[in-house]
Amino acid sequence: MKALSLRISRRPLLAGWRPSAQGAATLIVVVFCGALVGYPIVYLVAESFNTGEAGTFPPETVGLDNYLNLIDDSRIITNTAFVACIATVMAVVLGFLIAWTLTRTRLPGRARLERLMQLPYYLTPLVGALAWAILASPKSGFLNQLWHFLSGSDGDLFNIYSPWGIAWVMALFEGTVAFVMIGAAMKSMDPSLEETSRVLGAGKWRTMLKVTLPLVTPGVLGATIFVFAEMLGSFAAALVLGVPGRFFVITTAIWEATLSFPPDYGRASAMGFALFAVMLASLTLYRRIIRRGNYATITGKAFRPRPLEMGAITWLLFALCCFYVLVSVVLPLAALTLTSFQRFATVFLSQTELTLANYQTAFGFGAVNSALTTSLLLGVGVATVGVVVMAMLVWIIYRSHLPGHSLVEYVVMFPQAVPRMVFGLGLLWAWLNIPIPIYGTVWLLALAYFTVLLPLGVRTLAGVVLQIDNSLEECARVCGASWSYQLRTVTLPLMRPGILAAWLLLFIASVRELGVSIFLVGPNAKVIAPAIVSAWISSSTELSAALALIQSGAVFIALIVLLRAARSFSGELP
Amino acid sequence: MSDNPEGRIEVKDLVVRYGEVAAVDGVSFSVARGEHVTLLGPSGCGKTTTLRAIAGLETPSAGSIHIAGQTVYSAAERRNVPAEKRGISMVFQSYAVWPHMSVFDNVAYGLRVRKLPRAEIAAQVERALDLVQMRDYATRSASLLSGGQQQRVALARAIAFSPTVVLFDEPLSNLDAKLRAEMRVELRELQRRLDITSVYVTHDQEEALAISDRVIVMHVGGIEQIGTPEDIYHRPKTRFVADFVGSANLITGRLAGPIAGPVYGTGGVRFESDSGITLHAWAEHPPRGDEDTVAVRTAHIALSAGGAPSASGPSANENSATGRIRQRLFHGDFIQYIIDWPGGTLTVRRPPTESYDEGAAVTLSFAPENCVLLEG
Repeated sequence: MKALSLRISRRPLLAGWRPSAQGAATLIVVVFCGALVGYPIVYLVAESFNTGEAGTFPPETVGLDNYLNLIDDSRIITNTAFVACIATVMAVVLGFLIAWTLTRTRLPGRARLERLMQLPYYLTPLVGALAWAILASPKSGFLNQLWHFLSGSDGDLFNIYSPWGIAWVMALFEGTVAFVMIGAAMKSMDPSLEETSRVLGAGKWRTMLKVTLPLVTPGVLGATIFVFAEMLGSFAAALVLGVPGRFFVITTAIWEATLSFPPDYGRASAMGFALFAVMLASLTLYRRIIRRGNYATITGKAFRPRPLEMGAITWLLFALCCFYVLVSVVLPLAALTLTSFQRFATVFLSQTELTLANYQTAFGFGAVNSALTTSLLLGVGVATVGVVVMAMLVWIIYRSHLPGHSLVEYVVMFPQAVPRMVFGLGLLWAWLNIPIPIYGTVWLLALAYFTVLLPLGVRTLAGVVLQIDNSLEECARVCGASWSYQLRTVTLPLMRPGILAAWLLLFIASVRELGVSIFLVGPNAKVIAPAIVSAWISSSTELSAALALIQSGAVFIALIVLLRAARSFSGELP
Repeated sequence: MSDNPEGRIEVKDLVVRYGEVAAVDGVSFSVARGEHVTLLGPSGCGKTTTLRAIAGLETPSAGSIHIAGQTVYSAAERRNVPAEKRGISMVFQSYAVWPHMSVFDNVAYGLRVRKLPRAEIAAQVERALDLVQMRDYATRSASLLSGGQQQRVALARAIAFSPTVVLFDEPLSNLDAKLRAEMRVELRELQRRLDITSVYVTHDQEEALAISDRVIVMHVGGIEQIGTPEDIYHRPKTRFVADFVGSANLITGRLAGPIAGPVYGTGGVRFESDSGITLHAWAEHPPRGDEDTVAVRTAHIALSAGGAPSASGPSANENSATGRIRQRLFHGDFIQYIIDWPGGTLTVRRPPTESYDEGAAVTLSFAPENCVLLEG
């Protein structure tokens, strides 16, 4: 009897592993993704301990030398910490004020402003840094030129090539996430909590201090840590604005180490792994805070927070929002546009020499043109294949009940915890050492993009799948539909808006990718973001402006389609 | 109720586990052809899990399920027929009306799966939509329907392909009270007209009593009692059933021997309450001797004005005592009185035509057959 009950209780487990097509497909996908994600990290770690000849795997001699050398070079660590801290403070303060303004005041055009706020993120830190280099470099920067003209002095108003300048650009173009996260925390607060305080006799300000702020604190704290981790791994702004003045943060130092002659891969890997460790620790802390701060009152439900009458302060806050849009969208795009049509960058139209030469180079010159084409093709390819594979992953993780589905989730989300360029470094290693000859080809770029974009795609698709009530699928089965018929007639049509959104987001993320690409481009595989960087380094500001605008154009077109699609489909889901 | 297996459902020793927890723990019952059986219980009692196991949406870990003579699940035979091959139909709590299809496409789904000719599909869909009075909405997109309309579409879809067995998972729980009452009547009507076998899940005891041929009361994964609505109401077997279905006063005490008499035969027992009152009660089962509770429905207690009963204590065919009204709550359809009496407090519900003031002395009386000795 006992034996029988044991056998029976094991049955579901065995049933899951019966040699079914589903099980086999799952296994293949899991092994494939696990290898894509894990393999580069293994190489990175091995290389960071390698004290012998670079690039041998496994290393012949191992030691801590690479790490110990880092401590000697403490400037990089202090630089990184300094820039990351300032940028985080700026981003969180800005994000908090703007989120507050947009959720809690009666402002004209709130919805439109909210959408504008997300543009800087899509503009990318690289493009932002370029634009601000044009706007605020000493002497030649547009803002400084204007200042000279207006004041008659020849002192500079801004110097963007400084730690503060780097932090400013990072805060503007990478800090958007702070606004999104804090805004979400504010929106998820039940207004009746505040109303209770008012009804019990507390005034407006007292309520804000005693009820509102404590309730959003976990959200703000979480956003701070998340943004800090992001800033630590930030690369583009420090590359464009720091390297010319030999001001290095850890990411640019990693890049520098791989470019030096001979390349110091051990040092680069050690820095990369250290950065990864710090980032992982921050993200762990972040998850803790979010979970603990998740008071029962803050539910997943979205509320419509009650706007507060704040009098004149409202207009101050409105001005702040406009200022943010001005410095993060309007000025950068204007500066880039003007520069891209000039032979020599200047703010004074009287001195300007307008030309289409930069665009002719961009579309005509072999290397640059091929980078453009490759980027677009990669974007389309990665998005298309990615959506199919990621949809399968989402199904395995959230719907299949197959054994190990939560492990799959962990594997898939892992790249999120690895700074992009550290992942790029690991990929470089991993694929140099593998006998499949795809290093230096677009195929490696495609694989790399797919790997680092796994979290983005899976999260987007999961959001849609989780919205689809289980019973919609179950009902099809009970009606007599086979699995494939149900998939074709119910699941996929319901997922269509999500699939489109995921496709567009993957396309955008591919086209703007820099951190991974910069290690993996080769003579036969060029993509646009690194091409912008090399145009910049070879001091062709005007060409890089043209390229940056072309990249942003592609991203914005995709973005507009995305918004349109989101609007037309939003009525269709229950 | 013949031997013809068509439309007959048989569930034997069913166990469904989620990890270590057995959500359904050894449940057995059968449903005859054309019968309407309701699984009733509070949330978490295993009723929905049982239904989903019958549908094939949940994999049990032990027991067996037979539908129309076919074994669809058997742990012993290691047989588990997938949901789509069981030939049954189901109405979901969330309606599960597909928002990306029109009403027609929703209802036609099961027919198209069965590859019926186009003309027949159109005819069947029309018939089904007629039955739920949604004919005019056929071309409407399902995402534009109200809750009640979605409910009707879900129903039409479930019956369109003429299934012999239909499962209902709390289909009315998302509707407002008035619409729910209307749909109850329609469901009962539809079920009779179509001659389908149905298993219905609900946590609403009123609904269960109103629309079922038989009710199965479930509690923590097991069955408490199976019986007709009248049985369940008048003769609750357990404390849980007495308490969950309808409203009842539970009086604890101990058995004090049978009452022999011409009227009550074998079922009559004497019961001495903890407060020292002797009641004449009714035992549906042969008493074991250790039963310690009797249940009296709040609606089964009659009140009369004045506190001077002819004889306090049980007479041969009446339990009677005096009491005083402590609280009176006017509910509209009934008035609820909380009454202090020598046995403690009693809750009594009387029609709104029988009104007594708070503080008034009253005489309570209830028949022995309405004072039911509980098995456990």
